[in-house]
Amino acid sequence: MKTRTIRVWSWVHKWSSLVSTAFLLMLCLTGLPLVFTHELEHVLLDEAWAPADPGGDGLNLDQVLDVALSRHPGDVPAFMSFDEDRPVVNVTSRAPDAPAGQFNFQPIDQTSGDAAPLVAGHPVMEFLLQLHTDMFLGLPGMLFLGVMGLLLIVAVVSGVVLYAPFMRRLPFGALRLEKAARTRWLDWHNLLGIVTVAWVLVVGATGVVNTLATPILAYWKDTALADLAAAHDAPAAVGEWASLDQAVERARAALPGRTLQFVAFPGTDYSTDHHYAVFFHGDTPLTTHLTTPALIDVRTGELAAVAESPWYVKALSLSQPLHFGDYGGLALKIVWALLDLAAIIILGSGLYLWLTKKRRAT
Amino acid sequence: MSRGDLGPVRIFGAPLVLAVLSLVGLVGALLADGAWDWIGAGLLTTTFVAVARARLTRRAWRSPPARD
Repeated sequence: MKTRTIRVWSWVHKWSSLVSTAFLLMLCLTGLPLVFTHELEHVLLDEAWAPADPGGDGLNLDQVLDVALSRHPGDVPAFMSFDEDRPVVNVTSRAPDAPAGQFNFQPIDQTSGDAAPLVAGHPVMEFLLQLHTDMFLGLPGMLFLGVMGLLLIVAVVSGVVLYAPFMRRLPFGALRLEKAARTRWLDWHNLLGIVTVAWVLVVGATGVVNTLATPILAYWKDTALADLAAAHDAPAAVGEWASLDQAVERARAALPGRTLQFVAFPGTDYSTDHHYAVFFHGDTPLTTHLTTPALIDVRTGELAAVAESPWYVKALSLSQPLHFGDYGGLALKIVWALLDLAAIIILGSGLYLWLTKKRRAT
Repeated sequence: MSRGDLGPVRIFGAPLVLAVLSLVGLVGALLADGAWDWIGAGLLTTTFVAVARARLTRRAWRSPPARD
């Protein structure tokens, strides 16, 4: 490689890294506990609980929704999800004038309508997740972090290119521990960087895709779901909505053999203004992460369409587990956390190498 | 590239093998459950095996002699 070419790639590597390092460090540090969200929330929110009336008929979904909204008068429902290991329905609602992203979340015992304890959404974990996702800045924050993710990819690619001239006289894994600190850290930086390159690229690329969630879903609504929404002029008032319970049953009949995951109410990111979007997932390891919605007309309660997700929504769905590493059990999570620590060392050593080079130059 | 330099295969061979193992682990654990969760974690762990080997192999690193 010519000296001038090396200089150009060094410039690309230096600036793509320097601009993004502070944000990438924040993402690595907040991502570390987020890998263990399930385990940490199990500890933080551990509370003995049993359903009030396990043998009873239970409330239907319309009754559950009525109970939830009676506790937050004036709210409109946004989402309803279902716990897998206890008879609890989670209702997410928001006040019509609430700021974007501000919701009320209520787990409700479906056997009685009583409030059930939270098993997810501990305030500390929610804080970390939002800091990691958008830095409390909403869509601009997400997109900004997406740009930082792209810079990470540029930094990794330029780092791989520069690896060749740095290692042309050293065997793989060379750690010159007897040399000066700067050389030792350069070797650690190069070694950790090159052995984690695949993982960092996967986590970085899927992170970028995740930051595009809002525009991806908006595009899906504006294209694939546009014809369904075009049939109506104005959104239906909440009082005009058909039975939710019957809507979910119709959706089940349309997608037999799949597992009910959540309902998105009209007007949310995951539905149109005119439909209940009832989401199901498959039961294989891969299809567990892929959801398919059945859209039920909110005025008539009739099935409007089964909207198989287009490729870009599937890519978004698969990007979430591949980014957070929460799909392969505790062993994978532990390795994920170690790789995250390695990424922190790479970022820190890169910063150190730049600072010491600058100091030497002056 | 001068006479004493290593070729691309020597430089990128081991990293490429590790990258492939990592990707197989990442995707395998996503596509299958049970044993594949462990295999996936194991394949990703090869990264740390390589680092540990490098750390424990204390050799005096010198520029290799020029080839004939």
